[in-house]
Amino acid sequence: MLEIKSLSKHFGGVKALDMLNLSIHEGEIFGIIGPNGSGKSTLVNVVCGVFPPTKGDVVFSGKTVIGCPAHERLSSGIARTFQNIRLFPGLTVWQNLWVARNSIEDIKSESRVSRWLGKNSKVKKEIDEILEFSSLAERADELASSLAFGEQRRLELARATATKPRLLLLDEPAAGMNQDEIRDLDSRIRQLQKKGTTIILVEHVMELVMGVTDRIAVLNFGSKIAEGTPDDIQKNEAVQEAYLGYTEED
Amino acid sequence: MLNDYLLTVISNIGMISMIAISAYLILITGEISFGQQAYFGISAYAGSIATTLWGWPFWMALIFGSFLAGVAGGLISALTVRINGIYYSIATLAFAEMVRLSLLKFSYQFEIDGEWIGPNGSEGFGEIRWIFENDISILEYTLLIYLVLFLLIAFIYLIEHSKLGMIFRMLGQDPLLASVQGVKIIRYKVLAASLAGFAAGLGGMLYAHSFTYIEPQIFNVMLGVHSLAYGLIGGLGTVLGPIIGVVLDIGFLESIRGIQGYRMIVFGGLMAVMLIFMPRGILDEKRVHRFKKFWEGKTHV
Repeated sequence: MLEIKSLSKHFGGVKALDMLNLSIHEGEIFGIIGPNGSGKSTLVNVVCGVFPPTKGDVVFSGKTVIGCPAHERLSSGIARTFQNIRLFPGLTVWQNLWVARNSIEDIKSESRVSRWLGKNSKVKKEIDEILEFSSLAERADELASSLAFGEQRRLELARATATKPRLLLLDEPAAGMNQDEIRDLDSRIRQLQKKGTTIILVEHVMELVMGVTDRIAVLNFGSKIAEGTPDDIQKNEAVQEAYLGYTEED
Repeated sequence: MLNDYLLTVISNIGMISMIAISAYLILITGEISFGQQAYFGISAYAGSIATTLWGWPFWMALIFGSFLAGVAGGLISALTVRINGIYYSIATLAFAEMVRLSLLKFSYQFEIDGEWIGPNGSEGFGEIRWIFENDISILEYTLLIYLVLFLLIAFIYLIEHSKLGMIFRMLGQDPLLASVQGVKIIRYKVLAASLAGFAAGLGGMLYAHSFTYIEPQIFNVMLGVHSLAYGLIGGLGTVLGPIIGVVLDIGFLESIRGIQGYRMIVFGGLMAVMLIFMPRGILDEKRVHRFKKFWEGKTHV
């Protein structure tokens, strides 16, 4: 469903991504791990259209997305969450979801007034469902800035799902979370997969990645050094070296 | 009770509120403009030329001056929309100074009843006699100012409670996220700047006809700095915020005779304290939201 072909991204002399090839299948949870600075977030940004690649191609559902602006990729079904939480702090939880929902389809079916009031019954129902799913229903009328950290993370995920993505990129969603929150996130990711969403999970928290993903790719210095099931990756010597700087035999 | 001095203070509050609203509109879209005084000035000159030299009716001149200010606001924004932060602020200040210095060179006079009337560079533009010719009392003119202010506030209020208002706030809170969600950033920033130019223009034209004399020096950077400060003190959560700022400064600090000489010192201190303890003003988004929930009960949006 997503093909990453010989993708390179250079920042001056730094090769953040270097001839990277990846193939992500429909319906799977695909983990991307790697040490700091290995190019994980750059990959997310290139796929989502934050900046263009230096070379290479990104093909989503058979069509290249290079050259498409970020919002067109969003409407075509590629959504993301951000490593540092990004929400509209002065809008309510409900409004944050509403503007996200509105970004993939200008809701024109009812009058202008009811549109901004969010009274469009179909859309309202969708947003209420997402709120329910994200356990945020009771916080719907709070400003996003007055939510607790964990709630803000849930709202980010809810915001991404409000755009009805087919491919969802999660950029370190467990950063700063405690054990309970990580377990909660784990089950939410699985539920999203059950609904048919393909998920790319970029993460440092091994407990989450190893438990929830179907396959994992390991990046180091912008290149893939390993790919396989969580079990394969845990046994892989190249991975141990990249992470620990030596292998067990040393 | 309503003596002329008090009426002058009240009408000043009304007119300055309009340029404060103008600065506020730019502030909520996430930029700091040091140049809104230019649009105040452009409309003051254009509107006064229209009534005094061309004999236009007052309302037409008011719309003409403000419209011109709005167009200027939009044009300048179209040129500066790609720069952000301090660079944007400097660009707006440079433009406003350009306007002021151009007005110092600007001469456009007609001979009316044996007298040369019209703007004449640093000598300014006197004899803007509309209120005398039409026998308008200070009270009547004050009411007229507040009618315009009321319409402006109602207009901005409607915008703020529409999708457009939400888009303005999105631009101010996270432009990257807004653009990822398909908001045409440039289009809406230019639109906000045009509206801001128009709002300042209303105040400027009314100001010229209230004082009957204007000169380029009135539209210097301190006017712009004050209008910014009003929003930052009063609050950026609602259009009533900047008006509270104006009332505090002009209604309170300028009017209490004992502290008149110290006004700028008190105002500057107040500004500094506010920026530390309430960086988005008295009526910031959180307090406005709390008020709204209090009034409306628990409903969506």
